Amino acid sequence: MTNNIEISVNSAACYKNNNIIFKDINILLNNREILVVTGPNGCGKTTLIQSICGIQNLESGHISLNKVNIQHQECNYLENILYIGHKNSLNDDLTVLENLDYLCAFDSSADSKDTKLIRKSMEYFNISKYEDYMVSQLSEGNKRRVALARLFLTKKKIWLLDEPLNNLDDETTKVLIKLFIRHQDNQGLIILSSHFDLSKELNNVKIFKMENQSD
Amino acid sequence: MIKSIVKTELAIYFRNLNSIFLPLIFFFLILSVFPLILGTDKILLGKIIPGIIWITVILTTLLSSNNFFRDDFKNGVIETYLTSDASIELVLFFRIVSCWVFTCLPVIIFIPLVSLLFEISFQNSAIILLTLILGTPVLISIGIFGSALTLGLAKNNILTPVIIIPFYIPVLIFSASAIEAVSIGLPFTMQIYILLALLVLVLPIMPYLLKYTLELSINN
Amino acid sequence: MNISKIANLRFFYTRTESIAFILSILSFLLFCIGIYWGLYIAPTDYLQGDSYRIMYVHVPAAWLSLQVYIIMAFSGFIALVWKIKIMEIASIQCAPIGAFFTIIALITGMIWGKPTWGTYWVWDARLTSELILLFLYIGIMVLYSAFSDKRQAVKVTSLLAIIGIINIPIIHYSVEWWNTLHQGPTVTKFEKPSAHITMLLPLLYMLFTFNVYFLTVFIKRVRLGIYLREKNSKWLEEYLND
Repeated sequence: MTNNIEISVNSAACYKNNNIIFKDINILLNNREILVVTGPNGCGKTTLIQSICGIQNLESGHISLNKVNIQHQECNYLENILYIGHKNSLNDDLTVLENLDYLCAFDSSADSKDTKLIRKSMEYFNISKYEDYMVSQLSEGNKRRVALARLFLTKKKIWLLDEPLNNLDDETTKVLIKLFIRHQDNQGLIILSSHFDLSKELNNVKIFKMENQSD
Repeated sequence: MIKSIVKTELAIYFRNLNSIFLPLIFFFLILSVFPLILGTDKILLGKIIPGIIWITVILTTLLSSNNFFRDDFKNGVIETYLTSDASIELVLFFRIVSCWVFTCLPVIIFIPLVSLLFEISFQNSAIILLTLILGTPVLISIGIFGSALTLGLAKNNILTPVIIIPFYIPVLIFSASAIEAVSIGLPFTMQIYILLALLVLVLPIMPYLLKYTLELSINN
Repeated sequence: MNISKIANLRFFYTRTESIAFILSILSFLLFCIGIYWGLYIAPTDYLQGDSYRIMYVHVPAAWLSLQVYIIMAFSGFIALVWKIKIMEIASIQCAPIGAFFTIIALITGMIWGKPTWGTYWVWDARLTSELILLFLYIGIMVLYSAFSDKRQAVKVTSLLAIIGIINIPIIHYSVEWWNTLHQGPTVTKFEKPSAHITMLLPLLYMLFTFNVYFLTVFIKRVRLGIYLREKNSKWLEEYLND
């Protein structure tokens, strides 16, 4: 059974407010590969990752999954991707457990009825003691851990992460890297933006350097 | 999945008791201001009270649905909606319904009390109640649409109401007309049918329209 | 694909310079003829005397206020679906033009109302619908100005315009319907007169003139829109320096 995934970005260009954010971007990524998008602040990393998700519209060019344009229905793109952006996508009025339960409902590959698994994910990221705390009561670092806990629960193959390693302590970084390795072993692929050089900790890392277009 | 959404919506509203009581309190506050300004002439008040109730309901729904998506946008929840393969239209539909249940339903439940306070006849209160039940879901949906259009805009204080109120006008006109018809003794079924038609057309389409609007506005 | 989209704007901008000028002269001349025709040649009305002549401005203005909204919504739709740049510009530039026509229609309506109904304003179906149309236009313009990213602004305002177009007939019929409960059919006498050809002909002529005027202003505004958008691009600088 071929579980091959191939994401290709073809001649993508994006404009915001009539300014070029990026242009002529070409990327090819397969299973078990990790793409690290790197570059100075403001070079368009977040915009690039959001366009790969389909949230941000491209001025020209297109993104394909297994040679099918992601905008087409038959691609079933959203069934395969998990996006965790800069913002944590958490509800301030819910507890950590309820938040993860709610987020699982949006992830077709995660079983939201499996509370044991949700508890395991909290254990993995060391936030079990905050299970019944309101998210608004947590520190920023802990909120980030809750957001990243979704990665433990999902079975989706394509991860699109925007600066996941920012502002994490060493322990959480290690735990996250382990999760990346596990995902790789499961034939998944990851596209993430980061300032760190991950080629030391991970295999199959491709680096994509972006530059500020407004210079 | 539905269980999860419903559970979450209920939790959010019940934990934030403000969201349940404030619209109701606001409604009574504005309602009380009118006799203060217009004088206590019972005959005058009796004639215009349906209009006063409707104006107050409009203000209440506008203010309640104005910031519907504001926190979601700030927290990045919208991005989760748009990258999820779940049925977002269903989620949005339940959210619209829960918004109505928690902001308009209390007001509707207290209308009989308002009728007592302002000495509105039974038929008039009945028709006021009916038009409110049929009209407020439409008003809430349109207000939420306005919130989706202006997602993330910083200076959004009075912008959304300005854009949205022209879309409220058909509901207002037909409700006012129905109430007027009842008070004179004319038939009112046509107006009720039209209100019903508006409800049946707007409510199912709104989740799809909202999703499209969120896709557009996420880049704000 | 990218090149052809920009060339679209450039083509429009460079080719329409002389057209815009010719059209403005033409509009002016047509208006002069129209004023003379409407004020002198057309006969006096048996019921309203000479005060009906404001109709020659009021009716075309009202007609155009609706027509421009439809053009705005239509070009907005094309801009949303096919992402054609010039349609984005055309769509938002229609809004102030339409608002202008609506204001003219309202003011002339009020001027017409004083001698005929004795009052400046009546909440009849037509005037109230025009007023709400004005609010729709204002809403679109205000929404547009609230965005700093103008291309994003056009997407959102196009959606609003399209939803508004569904609203316009509903509003019109609801007001008309509400109104028949209050007033009798006397209101209908002041709509387009089922009149004599000598009165009808200048009306149709004025409608044509107003449309020419709209075309002039529209082309000029679209050129302005292109200029504002492409201010920093090379082709515009070169063209303007020639």
